[in-house]
Parts: sequence; C-alpha cells; structure tokens
Amino acid sequence: MKAKWLGLALVSAAVVTGCGEGRAIFNVDLYSFLKGTGSDTVPYFALPGFSADTASPPRKVNLPGAGSSIVDSVRAFGTVDLVNATGSGTIGLQVYLAADSLGTYKPSALAINVPSKSVSGTNTTRDTIRVDLSAAFDSLFTKSQLWIRFGASVSNPGATTLQGKAVLASLLLTVIIKDKFF
Amino acid sequence: MRTFFVGAGLVALCVGCATAAGAQGWVTDARRIGLGGLGLDQGSLRRYNAAYRAVPGRAGQRGRPKLTIPIPLGLIQFFHDHPLSNIKNDPAFNHDSAGFNPVELLNTFLNPPLFLEVKKAPTPTNDVVFGIGKDSLRLNLGQTAKLVPEDQFGIGGSSRPLDAGLSIKGVRVGVMGWVHGELGFQLGDKLLGFLRDSVPAAPNTRYNIPGDAVFEAGFAPSIGYAGRIVGDSTTGLYVGGAFHYYVGLAYARVNGDGGFTTGDSIFSGPTPVKLDARGLTQYSKFGNSVGHGVGGDIGIAVVTGPIELGVGVNDIAATITWPDTRVDSALYRDSSFSKPVANHIETKTKLPVSYLVNLAYTVGKTTLGADVLNSGRGTTVHVGGEQRVGVLVLRGGVARDQRKRMEFGWGGGLRFGGLGVDLGFWTHTNSLSNQRGVTMATSLSIY
Repeated sequence: MKAKWLGLALVSAAVVTGCGEGRAIFNVDLYSFLKGTGSDTVPYFALPGFSADTASPPRKVNLPGAGSSIVDSVRAFGTVDLVNATGSGTIGLQVYLAADSLGTYKPSALAINVPSKSVSGTNTTRDTIRVDLSAAFDSLFTKSQLWIRFGASVSNPGATTLQGKAVLASLLLTVIIKDKFF
Repeated sequence: MRTFFVGAGLVALCVGCATAAGAQGWVTDARRIGLGGLGLDQGSLRRYNAAYRAVPGRAGQRGRPKLTIPIPLGLIQFFHDHPLSNIKNDPAFNHDSAGFNPVELLNTFLNPPLFLEVKKAPTPTNDVVFGIGKDSLRLNLGQTAKLVPEDQFGIGGSSRPLDAGLSIKGVRVGVMGWVHGELGFQLGDKLLGFLRDSVPAAPNTRYNIPGDAVFEAGFAPSIGYAGRIVGDSTTGLYVGGAFHYYVGLAYARVNGDGGFTTGDSIFSGPTPVKLDARGLTQYSKFGNSVGHGVGGDIGIAVVTGPIELGVGVNDIAATITWPDTRVDSALYRDSSFSKPVANHIETKTKLPVSYLVNLAYTVGKTTLGADVLNSGRGTTVHVGGEQRVGVLVLRGGVARDQRKRMEFGWGGGLRFGGLGVDLGFWTHTNSLSNQRGVTMATSLSIY
C-alpha cells in the first residue's frame, strides 16, 4: 500500500516534468519515524577499563517504495547528542539497516559507522553523521519499509564509570533515484 | 504493481498534456503547415463557411489540388528506429523494459510521427524533490511546477469526416458525417496546491481530479444553398446556408472524479493513501436507437477586387435527442462497483457551434490572409501569406493556438504542371515541454 504513494508521487511528477533527464530525489526524514519511540536513544554504560556495546531496539520505517526503480546513491546526514553523565571515554555510533527486524543484528547490516568521539564529565557533545551509504544498501530503499537500529561502542579507559546516552537529534537520508523509475 | 503505476502514469500523463494535444489541429497538408495553419484555399474555407461553395478561386491562385498526399518521412524514421519485427520488445513500448519511458510514448501520441520532427521539444530536466517524513510528504517540482495547469484543460471539438453531395444551381443535397468529442479535466484545489505550490500533503485529505468526457457521432442528410446574390465574379456578395437533419449513431458521456485520500498519518498508518474514483456514465451504444436533431450552417463572403472577407457559423442550434440512453454509476474504492441508475431515458446533447472569420488579400503573385477559428473548444488565430515566384511558392505564417501560445510556420513548394511538391515547417507545443518543437511536413499535390 505504501507503494501507492510512490506511484502517486511519481505520476504527479511525471505529469508535469516528463521525467526527462531529471532525477527524483527523496529526502527521507528518518528521525521523524524514530522520535519519541525510544529507538532514538541508546543508553551506554561501561565500567573503568572496560569496553561495551549497546544498542536501541530495531524500529520499522515506512517508505514510499520505489518498485523497480534504480537507486543511484544514498547519503545520510544527521546529528547525535552524546549526553554524558559520568566518566570519560570514547563513543562510536553505528546505524544498522535491514529489510527486517532480525536482519539489523547481522554484521552486514552495518550501514553507518561514525568514528569514535571523546566524552568526559557531565557534558553534551554533538556528533555529526555524514556518509554515503554503500551500494549494497541501495535495494533497501526500493522497498516499502526498512528496519533501523542504533548501536554504540563505548570504551572507558578512565577510573570512573562511563555512563550516559546517545540521543539522535536528526537523521535525513537523501535517496537519489535514477531517471527511468517506471 | 508496476503495471498499475505505468497505467496510472500514462493516464495521468494524458491528462497533463491534453491541453497541448488540443492546442493545434491535425493538419496533413504541407502547404497549410507552411502558412502557420492558415487555410487560404476555398477547400478549407468551405468546411466552416457555407457561402464558399459559391466563391470562385482567387485571381492568381494556382487552383485547388484534386488530391493532397502527405509524404510520411516521419513514419519512415519512426519504423527505422522502432522496427515492427521487434515492436513487442521495443523499450519504447514495453512497459516492463527498464528503458521504458512513458513520456516518450506520450510524446509519440501527441506528435504522431507522420512528419519528421526536426527539433524535438526538450523535456524538463530539473530534479524533482520529495520530502518524506512520518507525517509529511512534500513535492517540489522546481521550475516545472509552472507546467501544472491551473485552469480546466482538455481536448475536443467537432469535425466532419465525410461531406458528399450533388449541387445543381447552387442547391446542394448531400450527407455529411459528424463527430463530436470532448475531454476535460481540472485539478482539484488540494492537488493543485500539492503539485504547483509545493503544499505538504495533509492527513485525511482528498486529492482529486474532476473530469468529464463526451463522444457522439453520426451522419446528417443535408440540403443547402450557396450563391452570389449581388455583383459579379470580381466584386460580389455570396451567401450560403445548410440545413442538417442529424442522425446520431452512438453517444457516451462520462462525468467522473478520481483521486486519493490520505489516511490518519501520511506514512506511519496502515493505509496511508486510498485510491478512489467515481463516475456517472450515460450512453447509447451503436446499434441502439438512433439520436436525432436538426441544425444548420450559415455563411457570408464578400469579394471586392483583391480583398475577400468571410464569416461562417456551423452547427447552429444542433441539439441531438437520444431517446434511449442508459445511465450507470461506477465507483472504485479498493475494488470497482457499477450499478445501473436509469435505463431507456431521453438525453439531449448539443454540438458546439463553430465559427470561422477569414480575410484574404491578393495582389499580383502575393496572397496574405488571416482567420479566427473556433471549432468548439478554444479559439485559434492564424495569419500568413504566400508569394509565388515562377514555379516556386514561398510561405510563412504565425498562429496563436488554443493555449494562447504563438506558433510559427514557414515553407515553400514547387509546381510542375499537374504535380506539386510542398514543404512546410511548423513549431508546436504538443509535447510535455514548455519549449517548442519543429515539425517538417512534406506533401504531394495533384492538380
């Protein structure tokens, strides 16, 4: 059913643009699907001298569905607030994308790996996401839904417990569809 | 699902460019194309002005061809590019092909490739941006949003594909075939805002396109008169008129409204959008009881030396009564339903009144002319002229089409005895573009 949106949208566009050589660009506000669901937040905790991996539960995102269209490229832009409560260390973020819930737990589902960032004390550190997704994920964006899961890799070399949460502040995917999407 | 999109896309594309299709007529005579659509000869004038059956050819006019045959250079090119032997697998026509582009297909429909397209109108190339969120959808068409029609748009008009008869002393008895068809649409306010003004889609909102279509056809036994009532062959006043008894063979009318309604939320709900359509059809099939009605044409022409002026009006008071029509209602929402509303009822239709006002001025080997034509759906204006130089004729003209766009024609011809070859170029906007294309027409005339 979601695919009908794409049909309507593409038809609408085609009515007036004639498609031509222009591209269809879908700016998908992923954050709007995650906000307030709990999936936009990853709590983290690591004892002194330890590392830990933590993650939010997977979340379904509805998409228009691009059918047999060909995805040219997908770019992700976003910001994450690392709201640190105690301790110091580094936090790396991961975004997993898959066609189903279980798939987000597979290593191959790792779509975005944000380099580790240092945090310390009771501070909020803003981290940015800006990455071109691998072509291996292109086919996901032709479907009417995908699943997303956030993960955080925490390393605590300090002497006190590292604790806090990574809160997604924005995440926008720009999906560029090649011309002949019918 | 792909078929659904392709089908819906084609329908919508037809809608979107129907205006363009109707903007210019379908002309197969390269001479007329070279004149920018202006009909200077009596043959084309008598279609709309009954008096012209009596008006003699202008001085210096090379005579009216007995037969004009278009030379289909466009078809040769078309079949070279799209061989019939491989037509099923041709990406241009196979919607399952990755190379299928409905725009190209519709441009082919809008610009039938009879003549050579020497300059294709470029289709818009800017990107189309969709903004998608959990509860939002926004479409930004950029510059191409200007092409979204704000007013009602459509194609239509009446024509007379057959006109045979015998004339004795100005009195003519004959029979003509007649066809009347119209197709009109108008984007609903919400859809117009979504497409043209990039207004975000709202939940629980219907986006629609109301439309209507009518088609009727038949024949009409006619009796008429055309003759000069004052003056002589160089200066005279001509009048003409015809009375038609219209016999309708088939009729159909559809009043419909198609669209979609958004759900409680744009993308997060189980049913983000529901397609729906509803329509009322009225029809009298071919072979059912015939329709009938009366109407007439009148015309007047004044010839005074080199100047010729005419006014013709056709299908005056032509109301057809269809004594046995059926009315059905149809509804689509998840699945389609249809039920009869009424049967064996009487319906009346009205043929559009068409008119032509024309002016021609001939001096020496030069003829200049202009006309204003309305054949039922919008007015077109043509201004043009031709200059004869020995066996050569040079032509040029401009037209304002039904979309109020200026179009240009130019060309020439050669005549050797009873044989003439003509070449005409004509700009057009019959494509999904806001720029003009150029068609080159070629035809052979036998005098």
